[in-house]
Order: sequence, then structure tokens, then C-alpha cells
Amino acid sequence: MTLAASQASPPLPQRPQTSRFALWGSVVAVILTVITAITVEFSFAELIENLSRRNLVVEGLLQPDVSQIWSDRSLRAFIETLQLAVLGTATGGLVALPLAMWATDFGNPNPVLRNIVRTFNAVVRSIPDLLWALLFVTAVGIGVLPGWLALFFFSIAVVSKLTADTLDGIDRGPIEAAQASGATITEMLHTSVVPQILPAYTSFILYSFELNLRASAVLGLVGAGGIGARIEFFRGRGEWSEVWGLVIMFFLVVFIVERISVSLRRRLV
Amino acid sequence: MIRLVNATVEYPGGTRGLNDVSLEINPGEFVVVVGLSGAGKSTLIRTINGLVPLSSGELYVDGEAVHEMKRRELRALRAKVGMIFQGFNLVDRASVLHNVLVGRLHAVPTWRALTGLYPAEDKQLAAQALDRVGMLDRAHSRATALSGGQRQRVGIARALAQQPKVVLADEPVASLDPPTSHSVMQHLQQINRTLGITSLVNLHFLDLAVAYADRIIGLRDGVLVFDGPGSECTPEVFEGIYGRSLTADDTLTDEASLG
Repeated sequence: MTLAASQASPPLPQRPQTSRFALWGSVVAVILTVITAITVEFSFAELIENLSRRNLVVEGLLQPDVSQIWSDRSLRAFIETLQLAVLGTATGGLVALPLAMWATDFGNPNPVLRNIVRTFNAVVRSIPDLLWALLFVTAVGIGVLPGWLALFFFSIAVVSKLTADTLDGIDRGPIEAAQASGATITEMLHTSVVPQILPAYTSFILYSFELNLRASAVLGLVGAGGIGARIEFFRGRGEWSEVWGLVIMFFLVVFIVERISVSLRRRLV
Repeated sequence: MIRLVNATVEYPGGTRGLNDVSLEINPGEFVVVVGLSGAGKSTLIRTINGLVPLSSGELYVDGEAVHEMKRRELRALRAKVGMIFQGFNLVDRASVLHNVLVGRLHAVPTWRALTGLYPAEDKQLAAQALDRVGMLDRAHSRATALSGGQRQRVGIARALAQQPKVVLADEPVASLDPPTSHSVMQHLQQINRTLGITSLVNLHFLDLAVAYADRIIGLRDGVLVFDGPGSECTPEVFEGIYGRSLTADDTLTDEASLG
């Protein structure tokens, strides 16, 4: 005898009605998509027509100038990009640690100061990397300096946000122990909090480095140094083969760095 | 050594952790505080090092008025008062030595703590404290590699490294098995006897309280309901403190007797 046959199966509770909210939400989402497509005058016909016309950009892609990879100036621009990413990550990541800790109740018992730090963190997070670059290019002029400053703030945003989330979940016991022993707040943070978050924090630094490397290519487009400036130079002259050569090179570097970083991060956590 | 005068602690929401408690603890005494959970044992212990502020009343530790202290003075007070916790409160990822050196933080400049360059003298004090609880050979182990009893002994060493005048222990054996509980209680007793450190220990196992206490203090709903030597503590006295008859859960050994 099977289990089902041996006893009358109890009635399954009725499935709850699909919520009206979800239903109307999807309808609104579809309507909004259609309206925006119409207002930006999107058309497939135009897209195909444009692609079938003679297109210098696509032609360049078919004959990328990989010799760019070995040219002195491109190589130097590349090293500059890497330097920017390293410098921006190291400095920004370092500043992010105290900023994240000073935004917590145990790291900053003064509610007024704590809210000042929290507000500062929120403002830094809400500004995208490219906007930072534009701001600093305007403020300090074209070059490596604005690129570094942009990545500095961008790293603070990324690392302080992720670290703050980690701080929410730490064991409070060691904090109480340090407080009960007469330690200052700084000493308590160093001995009881930092060891708990160190693996996660290191992993966030590496992650931020990956983001910065990618961002540093775009920063050059607005005049903040690195390989982006070189790409922008060839783009301006319409030399698409050179542009694509650099893009391939960039892709390779980012790919390799990311693989290394991902495997390092896996070992940390 | 410790004197409370009409001490009251009122938590936000109106619950009273301590209600008009007056009490004097002499230097070198080994005092055990008993009471049901929520009776105010933890509150009492945490007022003494200022982790929980008094709402009204007075508290003197080593002649100083704790209820009037600012943050800096509180740190100086806490340096003199070691604390031991139910959950050990060790930094799991760090070494045993790192954890014990937390007990020296009050005595070293912040830059030394930040760089890890502790003075040789402070490292020696940490080593001595570890030796006293028989954990010196594990100084470089990670705290996670230790058993519960070993972790609590590291917790005791951390408190000892402070060279305290008073030791507070909040349910130090509640997470341990019976033989380990006795070993930890013996360490606490030995520290009290040999170093003369005034000790205040919260326990909810009544047989342990009778076995180790010079003096027992009973709390019920934040009110001091008993204060006397362990020898006066009959089951009837404990039933008075608990407000109910005793069960097997109230003793460490399985029978509901106080041996």
C-alpha cells in the first residue's frame, strides 16, 4: 500500500492570490519601457541601416593594430594606468577603514560626530567615478593628479561601503572585553575589531583595485591621464585600428589582473 | 573595596536592573552573586566597572566615586578592574597572546598598540598571567584552536594581565561542562587566595556558589534579598531568593541537592 492510498490526503491550503501590486507593477514597467523606446526614437530599421553602411569603427575592429601594444608611448600610458589604479586603491582603501569604523556606534560614541562621518560617506558614495574625474580635471587641470584623486574617492566609496556592511555583523564580545579593560577607542578598534574584519577588508581592497583598473581607462577620456588619454587621442584622429589594438591590450590586462585578484580573494575568505 | 549606596539602575523602558541596593564588599573577599536570570546579576557586575551607569545612588570602588566619573576616569577605573565573560569574548582569529595583551592596553601608549610594539615588561606580564592559568605553552595558538575551558582560562589571563584590584566574572562557567566548570572556579579561587584580588562572580549553579563563595549575595527583581556566608545558605534560603522550589537545573550536578 502506498502512503497516499493509506490515508486521505489533507486538502492543500489554497494558493494565495497573486498580489495586485505585483500585477500592476509589471504592467507599469512594460508601459514605461514602451514609452521610453518611443520617445528616444528607437528603431530596428535604423539600427540595421547604420550597421550595413560603410562603418570605419567596425572596419578598424577587423584590422586591429596590435603593434600599438609594443609602442613606447602606449606602453608608458599603460603603466601610468596601472600606477593610477594601485595608488588610488591603496590611498583610498586605507582612508576607507577608519571612515567605516567611525560610522559605527562602537567606533564613535558621539552621535553628532557619527552622523557627520555617515553623511560624508553617503555623499562620497553617491558620486560616480567619472564625475569625480571631471570635477578634479576642472579643479587641478589635465593629468595624472586628477585621475589619482578620482580613484582615491571612488575607492573610499567602494571599500567603506562594503566594510561598513561587514562591521554590522562582527562579534561584539571582544569589543566589550577591550572596553572593560580600560582601552581607548582606537586601541579597542585595533585589537578587537580589525582582526575580525581583516580578511574581508583585504578582499574589498582587491575588488576595488579591479574596479579602479577598469575605471582608469574611462578617466583618460575626460583628461585624467592613463591609457584612456591615449585611446582618446587615436579616437579623435579617427584611427580606429589603433584604438582597437589598445582596447585588446586593455582587455588582456584587465582579464589577467582580475583572474589573479579573484583567486587571491577566494583564498582570503 | 566596593561600596554601593542606594544604587538604582533603570533601563530605558522603565525596567529596573537594580533597585535601591546598598552593599559593601571588603578587600580580598570572594563574593558570589546568585539569582534567576533577569534578577540583576549582570547589571550589578557591570555597574562596578561603569559599563552600566547608575540612574541614582552612589558607587565607590577603591575609594573613588564611580557615579561621578567622566570617560577618561572610567578608563582609569576599568584598568584596575578585570572582567571575565560568559562567552569568553576573545578575538577568535587572533593569537592567545594578542588576546591577553588586551589586558595591557590601559598601560601602553596607543602608538605601541597600533604597531604591536608592546614593551617587554608588558609582554612579560601577559606571559606571567598565561602561566598562572597553565596556558603559557599555547601563547601563539589561535584562540579558535582552543577548547571552551582553555578559552575561559585565556579570558582569566587577560583579566589578570591588567594587574587588577578587583575581578568581575559574569557567569564564567555557564558555557562549560561540569569538570571544566570546577577547574575554572578553582583558578578563580586560587587567584583570589594567592593574589588577594577582590572577586565578584555571578553564578546560577547553587552548588558551585556554596562550594566556592566566602559570601553569597542574593538578588531578586533587582533587590538585594540575601547577604551572608555560604554556610548559611540552606536550600530554603535559595528558594527564598528564587521565589520558587529548586530543580535539578539549579545545580551543576544532577541531583537537586547542595551536597
